[in-house]
Amino acid sequence: MANTPSLSDGTALRDENVLRRVRQFGSARDGSREWQLQRKSALALIPLGLYFVASMLWLATSDQLTAAQWLSSPLPALLTILFVIALFAHAVVGLRSVLLDYVHTRSLLIAAALLVRAAAILLAGASVLAVLKLFLAR
Amino acid sequence: MERPLSPFMFPAWYRFQITSALSILHRLTGIALSVGSILLAWWLIAVAAGGQIFAATHAFIASPIGVVLLFLWSVAFFYHLCNGVRHLAWDAGYGFELRQAFLGSYAVLAATVVLTVFAWLPVWLI
Repeated sequence: MANTPSLSDGTALRDENVLRRVRQFGSARDGSREWQLQRKSALALIPLGLYFVASMLWLATSDQLTAAQWLSSPLPALLTILFVIALFAHAVVGLRSVLLDYVHTRSLLIAAALLVRAAAILLAGASVLAVLKLFLAR
Repeated sequence: MERPLSPFMFPAWYRFQITSALSILHRLTGIALSVGSILLAWWLIAVAAGGQIFAATHAFIASPIGVVLLFLWSVAFFYHLCNGVRHLAWDAGYGFELRQAFLGSYAVLAATVVLTVFAWLPVWLI
């Protein structure tokens, strides 16, 4: 079984990342970084998400002035910015782990993961900028 | 030996179980919420931009399709939140007994319904 290549070999951990190899060269200290980021952002998203979704359901169909006034007050502005950052960080880790499970070609996997990351950074940056614009204009 | 890979195990080899159904639902809602976050970012940008852009965005969100999407998005959010808390409990080492796993599954579904009703009740009543 060990010598037969399987579909998953393309995206399996490379030899230098396998623990028994890492031990020879040094520590694998940041191996759990993504796992931790997913859990920590999840914890942050419990209060932030509840706050934001409750506000959104109330605001979603409101007019522009009400929404703009809400977003330009300090606390909603701060919590919205933090929510957006935690949300996109959480989404990137989550979507990557989905891609890791279902995309079995290395080049496709790298391209898709990069695309997801780029889109998330773009959306998070634009969202933060939008809130900052409203906040600074008050 | 060719090992079977992830997505194709579900329909053919696994009997339906609430636990595995909720597990795949966690992924599906996660993906749906990621897609929905595009609309969320768009809404924030539209509020900041104002004018025509906000008017068009607002018309879409207030339309029947927009409201249905918003409702489904909130259900997905509450489900992912509740099941996520269950995941955090597992990470901490709790809830692995079969009985607890089933109880937790139904608790997550119940909490999702309660939170959704609780969130939309003020909207429906007004």
